[in-house]
Amino acid sequence: MLPKKLTRKGLIAGAAPLMVAGPLAKLALADNSGEHDHLQLASHEGHGHATQGHAAMIGEQAPAVGGARDLDALLYPPEPLPYRPGRVREYFLTAIDKEIEIAPGLFFPAWTYNGTVPGPVIRATEGDLLRVHFGNGGSHPHTIHFHGIHPANMDGVFEIVPSGGEFTYEFEARPAGLQLYHCHSTPLKKHIHKGLYGAFIIDPKEPRPPAQELVMVMNGYDTDGDGSNNFYTVNGRSFYYAKYPITVKRSRLVRLYLANLTEFDLINSLHLHGSFFRHQPTGTGDHWEYTDTVVQCQGQRGVIEIEFADTGHFMFHAHQSEFAELGWMGFFNVTD
Amino acid sequence: MVARADTAPGGARWRLWALGPLLLLIAVVAAFSAWGDSVTNLLGRNPPPADQVDVRRVEFKPGEIRIKVTNPQRDDLTVASVTVDDAIVPFTLDGPATLRRLRSSTIVVPYDWVEDDPITVGVTSSTGIETIKEIPAAVETPGPSIERATGYAAIGFLVGVVPIALGLLWLPSLRRAAPRWLAAFMALTAGLLTFLAVEALSEALQLQAALPTGLGGAGIVLLGVATSWLTLTAISHTLSRRGARSSGGGALGGLALATLVAIGIGLHNFGEGLAIGTSFALSELALGSFLIVGFMIHNITEGLGIAAPIADGAKTSVARLATLTLVAGGPAILGAWLGGFITSDVLAVVFFAAAAGAAFEVVTEVVRYVARKAPGGITSPHVLGGFLAGIAVMYITGLVAG
Repeated sequence: MLPKKLTRKGLIAGAAPLMVAGPLAKLALADNSGEHDHLQLASHEGHGHATQGHAAMIGEQAPAVGGARDLDALLYPPEPLPYRPGRVREYFLTAIDKEIEIAPGLFFPAWTYNGTVPGPVIRATEGDLLRVHFGNGGSHPHTIHFHGIHPANMDGVFEIVPSGGEFTYEFEARPAGLQLYHCHSTPLKKHIHKGLYGAFIIDPKEPRPPAQELVMVMNGYDTDGDGSNNFYTVNGRSFYYAKYPITVKRSRLVRLYLANLTEFDLINSLHLHGSFFRHQPTGTGDHWEYTDTVVQCQGQRGVIEIEFADTGHFMFHAHQSEFAELGWMGFFNVTD
Repeated sequence: MVARADTAPGGARWRLWALGPLLLLIAVVAAFSAWGDSVTNLLGRNPPPADQVDVRRVEFKPGEIRIKVTNPQRDDLTVASVTVDDAIVPFTLDGPATLRRLRSSTIVVPYDWVEDDPITVGVTSSTGIETIKEIPAAVETPGPSIERATGYAAIGFLVGVVPIALGLLWLPSLRRAAPRWLAAFMALTAGLLTFLAVEALSEALQLQAALPTGLGGAGIVLLGVATSWLTLTAISHTLSRRGARSSGGGALGGLALATLVAIGIGLHNFGEGLAIGTSFALSELALGSFLIVGFMIHNITEGLGIAAPIADGAKTSVARLATLTLVAGGPAILGAWLGGFITSDVLAVVFFAAAAGAAFEVVTEVVRYVARKAPGGITSPHVLGGFLAGIAVMYITGLVAG
């Protein structure tokens, strides 16, 4: 257990990094004990005992940054439009270098589409002509690569847009499903991990049943550049939906568009507590799985449909416990 | 007299002139602070700060982990997030989250840690740089108590006072030794002190290397060595003048020399106590009875070293001998307390450096004494052999302690 042997020479040297502190520090700490109070679980029913760590915490105890409605634009997608032949859908995306706060007091020098990580949700109905005006306001060359079916010259691989440059992507939106978009400049890992990605919903011509719709893009941040993530989130801020649970209605259909844009880790996952759901991989085809856990590789995505049977707070998180404890955890608040 | 009268007014003027360079330096520094960027910009942009905290100490209390961190860099550093075993955990700070240069804060994490399991703590700065500290086994860090104070005192007594007292019991035998053998034992004293000096110096430099760069370089060791060397030189000068008045002899010898040897050994034992106390406090080692025995065997030679200088002089009272024992051995107790309850690596560097300086100084005194007293002079086989034996004995008994 303690392989270190006492040697006259190595005696202090071994202990040196751990030395210092003492009674003074202890006194200072003793005065501080009252400050733990705000970390204890406060008013939530069903959480009466004090919990250590954040992975089970809710509300004010969760260390998330920002206000309650900060991420609404990313969580709630634009309304779907019914199919109409020949319609043009226009979006404007600008690459911006921006330092974003991903956890309280923790800043990440991101590359963003329109200033957020993930970028805005792009939505079209199958058959729409999609016109995406891209301006590169960042300091590096970028592109937008869309998943889906489109011509080779609209693929965002060869048409690298230099800093200050512009490009308009124009193609028919197909096939229906949950697609993605992300930068495809090299080094690819860097350009994706820095934050240039987002969800791209293509609604089927035959509309899906009405539901409360949500978008969650799973991601991670390697803040110290060692090739592994230090924080995991959905929609860009760690523990955000633990601090601000997502309110949904019982017995009403909830449709969740879930995508994985985590870099470095091969897979990410979503596990829902207290409920089962139907999962349609990529949001395409007739195959639905009935489960409570979905695993996605990098770039994989799917459509999830939930009907909550009970009210209360239901946790959702990556079933990789490590990811959950590094920020990828939240709650649904199911109400009547 | 004429020359003096000439220089006096000129002297005042030149003394004022001496302020000139300082005033100019202030002006240049002020100018550089204001416009220096244009100079450094010629060399390109500076890299960002490393933003790694220095994890100084991790303590385990029931249901709680305390992490003491220091900012080792020039730029401010903000603690933004704390992880334990790769999980973000709630924490409080006993100070501000933003640490200025060399400032410390203690991070308190409520945590249900598992006894004896390895554990990793991570501290992430506002710029996302994570500093990770691995603890091989989580063991509760004991707090201060009467029992522990007594325990440290007992260990200090056993490794410091007892062996020196035992070593002094060789005094009657030494008194009857032939002069050339007495010279041999004095040379042995010089040898063992040289050994202690080198060891203390190495210890001081190793510890210094582990200090944050903000605390300066090896100069702190030299400062400690020089201060203690010069202080002991002053003490020995005073003692030899007093000795000259009372006994008529001019040079340092007998009891005065023994006192110096005791001071040198005492400083070393202080450092030794500091090391033992710290290691205990941080559960770094389980100091078994075997190791205490090793230290005792190692340190008994130190008693012999104190006995040798007084062996050829007048009878020494038991009270004096007891005082010498306390001067040489007592600091081990003080060191153990300090190491056990306060522990500061800066303090440890300073004390080991002081021990090295003191031991080197005492070696020169002893060598002078031997040169004067030894039959056949300083190059006699007994003296050379004694010196080598002093080093060898310390080395070999040191292996027992190791």
